[in-house]
Amino acid sequence: MSDPLEDPDDDWWNSPVNRRESIWLGLAGAWSVGIFAWMAGFTQFGDQNPIGTTYDVDPEQYQERVAEYKEAAEETEDGLVPPGDSVYVGAMRFNWDGLPAVLEAGREYDIHLGAYDVQHGFSVRPEENLNKQINLQVFPGSEWVIPMTFDEPGTYHVVCNEFCGQGHRTMHGRFTVVEG
Amino acid sequence: MSAITSLFRNDYDADGFRTCSVTGLDVHRSVENHVKLFGLTAVIALAVGGVFAFTVAMTRWEFIGFLDPGSYYTHLSLHAWNLLIFWMVFMEIAILYVGGPMVLGRKLPLRRLASAGWVIMALGAVGVNASILLTEAPNEAPLLTAYVPLPVSPWFYGTAIVFLFGTTIAALPFFATIWFETRGTRRSLPLVAFGAFITGIIAVEAILGGIAAFAYALAWRVDLIAAVEPGIYRQLYWIIGHGSQQINLLAMITVWYFLTHVVGGAVVVSEKVSRTAFVFYLFFINLGAAHHLLVDPGVSAGWRIWNTSYAFYGAAFASMIHAFAIPAGIEAGRRRRGQGGGLFGWLTSAPWGNPVFAATVFSIILFGFLGGITGVVMGQMQVNMTWHNTFAAVGHFHATVVLGTTLAFMGLVFFVIKTMFRRDFVSNTLASAVPYAYAGAMSIVTLMMMYAGILYGVPRRTAEVVRNIPGSEFSFAAAIPIFMIFGIFAVVAIASGALFILVSVGSLLFGDRLPGGDDGGLLPEGGLHADGGQPIHAVELRGTFTLCLVFLAVFIAIYVLNWYLVTQLWSIGA
Repeated sequence: MSDPLEDPDDDWWNSPVNRRESIWLGLAGAWSVGIFAWMAGFTQFGDQNPIGTTYDVDPEQYQERVAEYKEAAEETEDGLVPPGDSVYVGAMRFNWDGLPAVLEAGREYDIHLGAYDVQHGFSVRPEENLNKQINLQVFPGSEWVIPMTFDEPGTYHVVCNEFCGQGHRTMHGRFTVVEG
Repeated sequence: MSAITSLFRNDYDADGFRTCSVTGLDVHRSVENHVKLFGLTAVIALAVGGVFAFTVAMTRWEFIGFLDPGSYYTHLSLHAWNLLIFWMVFMEIAILYVGGPMVLGRKLPLRRLASAGWVIMALGAVGVNASILLTEAPNEAPLLTAYVPLPVSPWFYGTAIVFLFGTTIAALPFFATIWFETRGTRRSLPLVAFGAFITGIIAVEAILGGIAAFAYALAWRVDLIAAVEPGIYRQLYWIIGHGSQQINLLAMITVWYFLTHVVGGAVVVSEKVSRTAFVFYLFFINLGAAHHLLVDPGVSAGWRIWNTSYAFYGAAFASMIHAFAIPAGIEAGRRRRGQGGGLFGWLTSAPWGNPVFAATVFSIILFGFLGGITGVVMGQMQVNMTWHNTFAAVGHFHATVVLGTTLAFMGLVFFVIKTMFRRDFVSNTLASAVPYAYAGAMSIVTLMMMYAGILYGVPRRTAEVVRNIPGSEFSFAAAIPIFMIFGIFAVVAIASGALFILVSVGSLLFGDRLPGGDDGGLLPEGGLHADGGQPIHAVELRGTFTLCLVFLAVFIAIYVLNWYLVTQLWSIGA
């Protein structure tokens, strides 16, 4: 029988498989293993991986760390110039604490991401090219340190892309990347 | 009232059975009436959720800007819960009863539990709707996810647990049927019953995760525990958040095997291959829920890669198996009947005027090309950085659960109207138009969502950002033309959905009663079972093979394009 509403024949396991279906199984299997290998391999040879180090931190403590960082940073018209290679961003309803910031192109920074209240989304893109954008989740209780190197100078806009309350849509920040 | 009671009336023999004039199945009154009850409830949820689809879409189309942000998140929550959860899950319980007792020709066991399950589910569904509507500051609308520690009404978590509990109760008669049927025998169930059984197991896993997640959040909201970990909640939540979508997927695939057979004359080309694919789902598919955590802090890269890939793409492989097996079933069935020569004659000569067939085939094609491919691509850890929480993710899941599941379930509702309610359509022309209009318009809507998200970075879950971000000179104004197309076709799609409701409800209330033995024009040419023909494994499946090669080529192209966009980014990560 070949009817999905009736019990199959007793020897259904041994029935031959159509030749083209067998070929398709091979193609689909190879593609499945191939895309796994590419994703896993890209963590080794690729330059864009959402991988960093996470530290548990009390939200108030993280807020203090951001405040200390802001003390140490130089204030300019375009925003804070970080004192070293670490850049702190504190997400809160409905503001990005620590932004705007001024960074140098071609220099690797450790971006510290954390939230003071609820979950937020760290979503960044250069002004003139909206299809270059990245999105990372930000938690209260975690400090996520991700290295980033902005290679092109320009203005990078940060919006929140996790619903964080009524004023969610107004949450906007900025990186100004200048020639290094 | 009499109009409603007459909906639950059919001519049964002294034992309460009748023979279905389309499927030939022996159908018991108890099964049929519960399928009708759960199906009708699902359609009500579809209508309610559809109203909010309109208000939500007309807000995202900022040219109209229908709702203020405060109401927007409330409407978005109601849209999500009524369509993604209540419409789907009520339908899925009906599908379990079809796939179990109806296909196996049994009465519905534990009938009181089935009815009690319905009552508890209905209470939970009404409760969730009420808790969203009655939310007051400082609580926020839950949306689908109710991520802690955003304050959400404890009534929301409580009533969601009630709904999940009711669903578990309602599923028990199905499991009892399978238990009674297979206890002490080495019987192989029919493929549709087997698919329904795997769906049921996946559902139990999902529901347990959901109860755990919502109970954890509820305990925190009522001060039983002092604090919640967002990361732990997200892990628990996505067991149901995505697990429920895997229920939709498996139920839909089971419906595909069922409907392509009864209205398209499809056969099973290989029991071994199709069943193995279902077993792959059983083992691997729920791992994939981790793809929601790909850009979260605190989870290792190895954990993310292993889980998001369903263990070397075991579940994606299974879906690609069904992607071949189901069209191949139609091709083999029709070629053996001598219906359609050449490469695609079997497809072009198929019953395209039958809305059940058209809805099913559009569901298969659009789920695969728009939903399946984008799901695998955005589920790769690095690509996910460019998709996560953008409008493109919304496009992806509208391709899976609207173009895929909702279209297939619409076909099933039409099928049930004729075969179980025994009513003719009030208008065959309008009924036939529904899948074409809905699939066509919704395809454009989902594509625009994806373009807006990927090419313009427009975020999801926001009332306005395209024309204006309050307090900022920046906006996503470049995406305005995309949203003009989105908005216009969203109106067409929602109108087509309303047409579906009108035709369905109109046919139930005013459609002519089909005489006993009448197949309502549903059966394929030559009847359900064609005699003779060559053995199935020897049929030349050239058409399906060609279609699948096209599918693979599109898959590769979209994969390469997305990875190209990733490599254009500045350097990120350790």
